[in-house]
Amino acid sequence: MLQRTSSVDRINIDTIAFSSVFEIGDSCFIKGFSRAIADQREAEYFNAKEGNFSVYPVFSEPIPLIPIEEDITMQTTQLNPIIRVQNIDIIGVSSSSVVHIGNSGNISMEARVKHIRQVYPKTALLKDENFS
Amino acid sequence: MNYQVYNRDLCVGSIRVLGVSSSSVLMVGDTQTIQLAATFDTPPESLLIGPFVPLTPE
Repeated sequence: MLQRTSSVDRINIDTIAFSSVFEIGDSCFIKGFSRAIADQREAEYFNAKEGNFSVYPVFSEPIPLIPIEEDITMQTTQLNPIIRVQNIDIIGVSSSSVVHIGNSGNISMEARVKHIRQVYPKTALLKDENFS
Repeated sequence: MNYQVYNRDLCVGSIRVLGVSSSSVLMVGDTQTIQLAATFDTPPESLLIGPFVPLTPE
């Protein structure tokens, strides 16, 4: 099968962080995985040695994927084999994400996030500002 | 199922994105298969009100 060529005139990415990839060119197989515990606290209290993925089921529960049973025959005709983009502007790419210019084969991505918020009791906040 | 595709002119002027995050993909090109999965957990129990107890150690 004839492939299309991607043509990007200008791309500007400000930040790429946490195992993210900016790929120019073709690839065969991409598998991305990211997990995070996002803890938001009303008080600035952070101990560098806390947080354990294994205690939260969200990091271990299986994600069911329904198998494709339909038999599909796909025929693609490239009448103009170019994907043209003039300008791409991205501020941030983060947490195992991919910005890809070019073709790929199989892409599989997974993200798991546990969000926790820790706040003061409202009554305590009224009584004593320094409640901890 | 028969699926027939004719790729004609594809021309985009400008793409502006604030963020691509949590195992996302921004792609200019073709791909055979793509499979994305995400879990995001914020149950009521994860709103902890009261004295700050550190999370389970590493």
